Amino acid sequence: MDIMELLKSLLELDLGGYLQSVGTAVWVINLIGVLNLATACMIIVIFLIWLERKVIARMQDRIGPNRVGGKYGLLQSVADATKLLSKELITPAGVDRIPYNVAPVLIVVASLLTWAVIPLAPGVIGVDLNIAVFFVLAISSVSVVTFLLAGWGSNNKYALLGAFRAVAQMVSYEVPMIVSLLVPILLARSMSTVDIVEAQGIPFIVVVPLSALIFFISALAETGRTPFDLLEADSEIVAGFHIEYSGMKFAMFFLAEFLGTLFMSAFFVVIYLSGYRFFGVEELMIGGLHIGALLGFIVFVVKVFLVYFVFIWIRATLPRVRIDQLLNFNWKFLVPLSLVLLLTVAVMDKLFLADAAQIPKAAVLMVTNIVVGWVTVELLRRRDNDGQTAVSPITEEAVTAH
Amino acid sequence: MDFQPPIINLLIVAPLLITMGAGLFLMLLNIFCKRDGVYYWLTLAAIAAALVQNVAMWGHEYGTFIARGSYPMVVSDNFSVFLNSILLLSGIGTLLISRNYLHRTKLERPEFYMLMLFSLSGMMMMGMANDLILVFVALELLSIPLYIMAGLAVSRDDSKESAMKYFLLGAFSSGIFVYGIALIYGATGATALPAVYAVLEAGSPLAMAGTAFLMVGFAFKIGAVPFHMWTPDVYEGAPTVVTAFMSVGAKVAGFAALLRVFTVALPAMSDAWMGALALIAALTLIIGNVVALMQTNIKRMLGYSSIAHAGYLLIGVAAAGQHSEAVGSVLLYMLAYLFTTMGAFGVVIALEHKLGEGIMLEDYKGLAKRNPWLSAAMLVFMLSLTGVPPTGGFSGKFYIFRSAVEANLWWLAIIAIMTSVVSGYYYLRVVFYMYMFDGDRTEPVYAGTALKTGLLIALVGTLWLGFFPAGWFELAYKAVIGTTQLLAGG
Amino acid sequence: MFGLEFDQIFFVLIAAVTLGFSVLVVTMRNLFHAALALMVAFLGVAVTYVTLGAGFLAMAQLLVYIGAISILIIFGIMMTRRIMSAEEEPFNGQAGLAAFTAVIFFAFTTYVFINYWPAVPAVSPLAMAPEVDPAMIDNSVVLLGQAFVNPNAYVLPFEVASVMLLAALVGSVFIAKPRIQEAEA
Repeated sequence: MDIMELLKSLLELDLGGYLQSVGTAVWVINLIGVLNLATACMIIVIFLIWLERKVIARMQDRIGPNRVGGKYGLLQSVADATKLLSKELITPAGVDRIPYNVAPVLIVVASLLTWAVIPLAPGVIGVDLNIAVFFVLAISSVSVVTFLLAGWGSNNKYALLGAFRAVAQMVSYEVPMIVSLLVPILLARSMSTVDIVEAQGIPFIVVVPLSALIFFISALAETGRTPFDLLEADSEIVAGFHIEYSGMKFAMFFLAEFLGTLFMSAFFVVIYLSGYRFFGVEELMIGGLHIGALLGFIVFVVKVFLVYFVFIWIRATLPRVRIDQLLNFNWKFLVPLSLVLLLTVAVMDKLFLADAAQIPKAAVLMVTNIVVGWVTVELLRRRDNDGQTAVSPITEEAVTAH
Repeated sequence: MDFQPPIINLLIVAPLLITMGAGLFLMLLNIFCKRDGVYYWLTLAAIAAALVQNVAMWGHEYGTFIARGSYPMVVSDNFSVFLNSILLLSGIGTLLISRNYLHRTKLERPEFYMLMLFSLSGMMMMGMANDLILVFVALELLSIPLYIMAGLAVSRDDSKESAMKYFLLGAFSSGIFVYGIALIYGATGATALPAVYAVLEAGSPLAMAGTAFLMVGFAFKIGAVPFHMWTPDVYEGAPTVVTAFMSVGAKVAGFAALLRVFTVALPAMSDAWMGALALIAALTLIIGNVVALMQTNIKRMLGYSSIAHAGYLLIGVAAAGQHSEAVGSVLLYMLAYLFTTMGAFGVVIALEHKLGEGIMLEDYKGLAKRNPWLSAAMLVFMLSLTGVPPTGGFSGKFYIFRSAVEANLWWLAIIAIMTSVVSGYYYLRVVFYMYMFDGDRTEPVYAGTALKTGLLIALVGTLWLGFFPAGWFELAYKAVIGTTQLLAGG
Repeated sequence: MFGLEFDQIFFVLIAAVTLGFSVLVVTMRNLFHAALALMVAFLGVAVTYVTLGAGFLAMAQLLVYIGAISILIIFGIMMTRRIMSAEEEPFNGQAGLAAFTAVIFFAFTTYVFINYWPAVPAVSPLAMAPEVDPAMIDNSVVLLGQAFVNPNAYVLPFEVASVMLLAALVGSVFIAKPRIQEAEA
């Protein structure tokens, strides 16, 4: 064994290449990669829980966890996780056994699967699918099923209501999410995450800020976080679809939620914040050593945590919306807006900017985005001033019907 | 960038674009305009414009719209122009007889007109599609609006039941149809009709199975035995205007695609499908006509009658291989069927004083005294449906039977003639009720200007076809030439 | 194992799962369970697509059939039946007849496939290009997208299909929306 080679491969984040050169079977390497990625994700979640509690506490002028693991309470969530793992698994009487037990497993599997297409660093990716973005959307739409499984299987009215809410919310917000994702796909001319990262000489958040905003809002709703945390609104439906779960099974839902949020941050970084790229640092070579890979990974992680911080920030700031507000906002605002945006960008890109250089093209698209957004907001404001949005049509009809 | 605007000959699909575009326009208009009359007149104008455009295309060679490989996806030839004219006329007829009816039954909705335009577009595409995939998409475009239109009277259970039945059976038959396409693709590696023709070898069992499934799918749509079960219930439950529309439109469109697919793509299988179609035709004729004898509800009776007429039309298709004028006679029959059926339904609508009432045979008692003109019109239509000269129905049957005899389908011709005689019993029973009984009905007869116009057109068409069929047949025959491979040899 | 390659064993497994769960769909008494079995059957189909190299199709299957249609079915069940115990008798009086028809149909198709497969004539495009270019599979999404909007390919069915879906949408809204003025009719 060549220690130097091993070290070099580690620094270049190319352990697989090293293992292959010493003759390890491909499926073993793949297995190691999968295990690595999955374990890393789960361990990060433990840290994330601590981070979230700490940040929110600070924003609310509290201290947060501060006992377990030293002054900063670093080991607090480790202790929590251990407690959850060691608790008795209570299966309530009357549950539908198969759905009840399958749901927590499926939801974690679904959250982990999507990580396969995230390029963590140059050349470091689970699998570079040519339909990566589509894959993510498909998996996340399948994960909706698990909510229904849990809600139904629990044989509990609150759980079922929570599941209904979750499904309605997620199915609805998938639409603007898909449409807004089409804009970067259109600009990158590919659905592969690697290609999309490579296409971002200028990050797409600058080129198409409106699309990024729509995606971010939809991502908030998809992960069920504040202000869209209706699925576990304690004051209304106790705790939503996972009310009947305890111990490890509950922990898995918890884990999936954080994994989902982390994934959305990573996905946002990949699609809109140019992933691991940062002014060419990812291509840095020092003495034949591709150190850029490691730097790119660090850049990626930093960006992900920045986005994740915004998630936490919103959670600590905004109040919860009502279910009709949530759905109205989606169908009457986000969906039309994203469609208009897609059409505008497509027409601009194909007809007017086909031969434009990168920077003017980006500038024109950005201005277009801002104009579309501004016009929409302005229109809405006028309508608001006319006093037309006071009553939503749904309630209006319901009132007349009775 | 190598972006080049593609050269598309939109003229080929101009009638389609008009109807589809009008449907989309009405949808947008729905946001701003709540007055129903606007939709009616716009729809009428759109269909009329499409008809004018369509007729103007007669005899012209516009080249191909879009070519997939060397085979066009859609073709516009005299065949499609002829059939599209029938379909558009059925649209106009439906609108004319629906004006007052929709009003008084409180069914007038913008959606009705939109769905009708979409359905009409699908029907027209059926006759123009030159690719199995497009045939399927057109089939769905024609069917889905019809399912909904059948359930137009949402508050009535029979309408809902009719929509549900139509939808379930229609979806099922679409599934079989797609399976047939898949098998034919498996056998030939092609979906374009000429490509299938070029590749297909006689007796390929896979293609045989595919042909059988396609036949089942078509038989569902045209309501041929043994796939006719939905017809009477759907015809009875659906609002009468919708029944009128689908009895002509859906049937003609189904036959259009059937004729094109079978004669253009599958002549290699002709021995098999002609035999099968002849058998289906015989069954359809017998069951359709015999069961119609027992009906007391006029809509159900017309439903079985439409099954029977599908049988007569199928004779023509079955004879297509042996007799060169068979397809032409099918087209002529469709034209006669259009005028006659539209007229008959027009009378039914005039008498349907409330939704689902006034459609029993009993209600026709003494109509001759109450409204002699209406009953005279009904007399002509019933005679035409029976096939008594000098009406369109007779001319249509005459040419069809001639084709059957020329194609050595003697047995089928005999069955057809006998069942025609049987059909006289139930058609003329309506006449009997109208003229021989004294009625005690006092409900008004709703014959507005639009309905009268429609009846007049139908009457003129029926009689014209009856007195001077030769010119029309010439036209129908011309429509077929150059379309089908079968006729080239026949 | 039995002279089968890995792909074949995998295919047989997936096919068995798909078919097994399809049978469960029609035999289960609990409608919710039947809907779940339907999802697994759909998943099996998606996996088959993956093994055939049609990744896009597989994902579309997941997104449309599991993510949308099955959810819709479950919502339908939950809104029309008693929520917690949707037990149904899966068979009615026509079960025997249906089984008979199914067996005949199965025998017919099996006979055709076993005796005449492969049936592709030598002149067909399928027979002429039996080997699929790997580059074409990699590029399949782009090719698919272009075929959909290419006037020389499928633009017309594509557009007609969108009109069809629009019509279906209009229709479903029409049927579903509450009608107050008709209540008295």
